[in-house]
Amino acid sequence: MDMDWKRNSQLLMIIFGIIGIMPLFFGSTNFIMHILIMCLIWSVVASCWDLIMGFAGIFSFGQVAFFVIGSYASAIISAKFSVPPIFAVILAGFVAGFLGVLVGLPCLKLKGAYIALVTFAVHMILEPVLKGDIGRAIGTGGSRGILTIAPMNILGYTFNSSDPVPYFYLMFFLAVASSFIILAVIKSHWGDAFLALKDSEQFATCLGVSAFKYKLIVFALTSFITGMIGGFYAHYVGMLSTRMLGIDLFVTLMVILVIGGVGKFPGAIVGSFITIALNEMLSPLGSYRPIILGAMVIVLVLLLPDGIVGLIQKIMPKKKSGKSLIA
Amino acid sequence: MFVEIIDVIISGMINGSVYALMAVGLTLIYGVSKAFNFAYGSFYSMGGYLAWMIFSVAVINSYFIIFILSIPVLLVLGYLIEKVLVAPLRKRDDWEIKVMMITLGLALLLDNSYQVLFGARMKSLPSILEGSLEIGEFILAYQDIVIFILSIGGILLFRWFLNNTRTGMSVRAVAQNPAGAQIVGIPKEFVFSATFAISTVMVGTGGILLAQKYFVTPTGGWDILVKAWVITAFGGMGSIKGSLYAAFILGMLEAFVGWYFGMTWVLIALFAVLLTTLAIRPQGLMGKWG
Repeated sequence: MDMDWKRNSQLLMIIFGIIGIMPLFFGSTNFIMHILIMCLIWSVVASCWDLIMGFAGIFSFGQVAFFVIGSYASAIISAKFSVPPIFAVILAGFVAGFLGVLVGLPCLKLKGAYIALVTFAVHMILEPVLKGDIGRAIGTGGSRGILTIAPMNILGYTFNSSDPVPYFYLMFFLAVASSFIILAVIKSHWGDAFLALKDSEQFATCLGVSAFKYKLIVFALTSFITGMIGGFYAHYVGMLSTRMLGIDLFVTLMVILVIGGVGKFPGAIVGSFITIALNEMLSPLGSYRPIILGAMVIVLVLLLPDGIVGLIQKIMPKKKSGKSLIA
Repeated sequence: MFVEIIDVIISGMINGSVYALMAVGLTLIYGVSKAFNFAYGSFYSMGGYLAWMIFSVAVINSYFIIFILSIPVLLVLGYLIEKVLVAPLRKRDDWEIKVMMITLGLALLLDNSYQVLFGARMKSLPSILEGSLEIGEFILAYQDIVIFILSIGGILLFRWFLNNTRTGMSVRAVAQNPAGAQIVGIPKEFVFSATFAISTVMVGTGGILLAQKYFVTPTGGWDILVKAWVITAFGGMGSIKGSLYAAFILGMLEAFVGWYFGMTWVLIALFAVLLTTLAIRPQGLMGKWG
């Protein structure tokens, strides 16, 4: 286990080391920096999704919903109660985490496709709720959305989206922090518990692993992190609408996971950089872009069963210890 | 007030009948192969667009011919999609999640292809039968009656197929015990593909039937997917009888909530009912675990 942890954290450090020096090359091009910031944001969301789906084996389809809940919560909290954005973001994380637990509770009794339904249901009702009377009463701005959100401000320093390099390092710090939290969870006894529950829930519970506790914790943790990063996103882009809930973004996130490999943790980070960059390159194609995105999912699921990480594992065979290079 | 309530009940019955047709299709795939099809809603839109194409391109004005022409198309398409996209995944450990992913990708692909091919504007179809039945204060459109009869007829036909044909019986055998069915020589792979194809036809014809009442839009299928999904989960996934009851109960609920509180509350009410049901009975009304 220790070796594994060491290897994985080394791998994470290499990945983030490469990402971290990117502003040296692209720092002056705002357009590319914006894409890199978005890559970092989605890498966190995708990693959380990977933790809950790939490792804990819970078919949660509500990750985008928690992201949107977090972003709206942070925007509303900071505007209505004039809370400084940095605290609003943390509060938004707690809002999303609380809702995550609330959604998780009925899911604990359910299996496979049912969990997918309940969590996807959260995604589907979020749009009418945010656009409707309830949403307008809370301050979501109905179908117009929220048009002005205070920029992020930490200890008197205001982050400005026209100067993306500081923003990049803020998101970079967040991505590094959440990645190591996720890695710690995967490599701790929690991770073992998930693995046991995924392999045989009955046997694991017989051995005294509490499915209830661990599944609820993973719901809370992933929705907390996802909600918080959603808050940072809201303060970064400065406006929100329910367009994020379109199936487009959902599938983009899925492409990240498919490219990175489901349950191959640092893969999601690599996947998000590949996918978001690819998506930007496809954007001149206009309405053909989502078609290509959909076709990509199909081809990749068929041809790349374990994502890029799986491909690397296949090319570089396992070490003689029997442990794989990347767990 | 009284007349209004009767109207609401009738519209609930009619929607319920079409939902039943579509929910039975969804529960069928799940019951037989444990696969979940995210592109189900896109096949609903496909039915609508096929009908629209036959109407406006081929200028054929008979629903009979539309059904004759589009059912084979849907059948073949459903069969091919299962064979090419879903069947190869079955050998993998994590195939359940991969099937969800690949069908979600397919849904995005199909929805946006409709958008490119037909434009984002709504397409409307002529009514299957003009005119209406008037009894005192009640007005009952012939169109609604035909939709109701055709949906129920479709379900009865499907029931007959399951009980009386060889393919239907092998479908039931695979649903009950896949390994046992294989031992007695039932081609499991073919049954999986066949059920997928049949369910595609069911939702596609549902799309043709409802396209004349509502409109055909590129993303209109999502609403249907979610409703069919809620119905199957409520009735118990894999249980055809459960789906039938659930379709009518939820069709009624939808009609009443829509009439009393407004359409925006329909989805919220459906989920509230579903969550309460699942909290008490995780397997749905008539479902079994496993």
